[in-house]
Amino acid sequence: MSLTSERLDRIQPSLTIAISTVARKMIADGKNVISLSQGEPDFDTPRNVKDAAIAAMERGETKYTDVAGTQALRKAVTVKFARDEGIDYKPEEIIISTGAKQVLFNAMVATLNAGDEVVIPSPCWVSYPDIVTLADGKPVLVPCGQNNGFKLRPEDLEAAITPKTRWFMLNNPCNPTGAAYSKEEMKALTDVLMRHPHVWVLTDDIYDSLVYGGFKPATVLSVEPKLKDRTLTVHGVSKAYAMTGWRIGFAGGPVALIKAMDKLQSQSTSNPNSIAQAAAVEALTGQQETVESMRKVFEERRDLVVDALNSCPGIHCSRPDGAFYVYPSIQGCIGKTTKAGTPIKDDEAFALALLAEEGVATVHGAAFCYPGYIRISYANATEELREAMTRIQRFCQGLH
Amino acid sequence: MSPGFSQRLGRVELAASVRMTIKARELKAAGKSVVTLTTGEPNFDSPLHAIEAAHQAALRGDTKYPPQDGTKALKEAIRRKFKRDSGLVYALDEIAVSNGGKQCLFNAIMATVDDGDEVVIPVPSWIAYAQMTQLCGGTPVLVNCPQNNGFKPRAEDIDAAITPKTKWLVLNNPNNPTGACCSAEEIAAIAAVMRKHPHVWILSDDMYEHLVFDGFQHATLAAVAPDLKDRTLTVSGVSKTYAMTGWRVGFAGGPKPLIKAMTVMQGQATAGISTVGQAAAAAALDGPQDGVQVQIEAYQRRRDLAVKMLNEAKGISCHKPEGAFYVFPNVAGCLGKTTTGGRLLRNDEDVCLALLEEHYVATVHGAAYHMSPYLRISTATADDELLDGLKRIQVFCEGLH
Repeated sequence: MSLTSERLDRIQPSLTIAISTVARKMIADGKNVISLSQGEPDFDTPRNVKDAAIAAMERGETKYTDVAGTQALRKAVTVKFARDEGIDYKPEEIIISTGAKQVLFNAMVATLNAGDEVVIPSPCWVSYPDIVTLADGKPVLVPCGQNNGFKLRPEDLEAAITPKTRWFMLNNPCNPTGAAYSKEEMKALTDVLMRHPHVWVLTDDIYDSLVYGGFKPATVLSVEPKLKDRTLTVHGVSKAYAMTGWRIGFAGGPVALIKAMDKLQSQSTSNPNSIAQAAAVEALTGQQETVESMRKVFEERRDLVVDALNSCPGIHCSRPDGAFYVYPSIQGCIGKTTKAGTPIKDDEAFALALLAEEGVATVHGAAFCYPGYIRISYANATEELREAMTRIQRFCQGLH
Repeated sequence: MSPGFSQRLGRVELAASVRMTIKARELKAAGKSVVTLTTGEPNFDSPLHAIEAAHQAALRGDTKYPPQDGTKALKEAIRRKFKRDSGLVYALDEIAVSNGGKQCLFNAIMATVDDGDEVVIPVPSWIAYAQMTQLCGGTPVLVNCPQNNGFKPRAEDIDAAITPKTKWLVLNNPNNPTGACCSAEEIAAIAAVMRKHPHVWILSDDMYEHLVFDGFQHATLAAVAPDLKDRTLTVSGVSKTYAMTGWRVGFAGGPKPLIKAMTVMQGQATAGISTVGQAAAAAALDGPQDGVQVQIEAYQRRRDLAVKMLNEAKGISCHKPEGAFYVFPNVAGCLGKTTTGGRLLRNDEDVCLALLEEHYVATVHGAAYHMSPYLRISTATADDELLDGLKRIQVFCEGLH
């Protein structure tokens, strides 16, 4: 008898294990490694948020809360959605979870039956297809080329939807590419979705406060309010408020869906940490200046990184509108050999050689279902980024 | 129109204790004086040193993604805890940290149970075991543990319930909702049966392990039968022992391949556990334990009060349990009677609803734990409130005709 269930066996082992194992060993051996692989801000959680957490624990907010989160936080989330996204939700249309990941997990497990299809534009965060697979669904990946800014084209969305499609999952701005949709681009997608009323829409907007160059991000519901009764708007405090470790994500959606997710959460984890919920209330409703100051720093770093990468022979990097990632093509380096004599046969070989020879950790594109690229996170101190870019330039110049 | 939901969700329901708590809250909001005896959480505060540790963690910037299976500091504290409290030795890679003990169970069941697999659950039991099993397409196989055996599972009944399709046996000591706790000898008898069935995993949910009374010694299967340790998952947490329900930190010790599978599962569901919660949990496990003793004394005092007053109530007979903060009185003597409000009591749910709506005492009916006709009464309630609730139950019974 096998130890693990069929559903667990369907999960692919992490593609980044080889790289993270080498990175850990190099660090343990005292090597200088700059990590550009992390998906979290390098900033600390704002002080007012920490103070709110401390006040909550001292007040004794250390008991179970409602499974779907405290009334205070659900109200704060409605304020946030109205203020930042222009979407009106009622508290009963909100669920709080242990990270946005649990929101996705709840939504998929609560809705997917065996064989149901979920349309996911790729490159994508690997958890999307993994969670779909775990919930017995079938991820349908739609490639979005660099020549279209890694954005989904409406005709490709139309072609991917079948009678078995249960969800369309969009990450806007996107991890790993930073691609974000303008109002017109989004309208073209929502027009397609309006023609397919059997499809739920999940829009993961967790990076949408991090947009640059005056770009105005368009959310699904700000563009097409008629989709509200089948759209789940996913968000969280992790990225905008540098609160990854607190594990608070949330979503707004139709009451029936939120109730279904609540029921599932009641059987898997119950409420998210009560202290972290109090911290999230302050993050969402307290001072917002920190968000803007972090955003400004990210914008400078984005430009620094894109310019430096485009000066590297063999690398071609688009300048994305959001998130804190860039997703350069390294296809011009494939087939070459490093200074140390390592052949670069694919993106993983590139990332491994860059790590081994220059001490720069990145994630290769295959881990985002889209090989030929690497993901670089610029959520790192600016000086470190400068040094990393120097190393990448040296690495590329050494290829022959 | 809505695009619809999964079949598996249709197999799951909202826990009755939650439904009753919500009803009680609604009555309270309507201005009624409600005594709530439904909650499964201590009425004490979290220890100050745990709060201080969380405070320090936040201030020093311990606010980044934690490892998915728990921080090293907390896992080391858990390793010390298993050794100290149960004599169990686990390596760090044999320990997993989750969002509450509930997620440990969820991970374990999701990671191992396929359609048609059976999970043997002695009842009365916490509803989550059966619900999680059904969510995964498995079949809960319920083993009756009647009051005349102190609500404890008998080894021969477990033996009879096991088939080639059995994947897990679930033990919950002390038990929610009865408070029953098996002795080392009783567990040894179950272990002897389990040796005959090497294809079955054993889940020992010891969440209430410290809440035992009258000098009772808690025992856990992996320690009683070390030869079964490589297929036993020992689950505990800080919620009940340290009054830390809101922090959501539970943990488990078990064989490495199972812990690894549970971590993969957790990586897809929630990733890691709140860093401040983990810092608080480590401090609670390693810090002074005298606060626990104070709580145990309070729970024992309240158990004695509840058992005495319930046995004085007409039509109720209440067993005195070894541990936890619940009593599980039998209300068979109330059935077939009519309340002062004119309601006919046909089953325990009727009793539960009449108590709430006529006397504003919230309890949970036994059927919600797979055994009727009983009520679950939580003693995790302040002494005077508990006394008030018990008096109302006596008045309620007095009025039955």
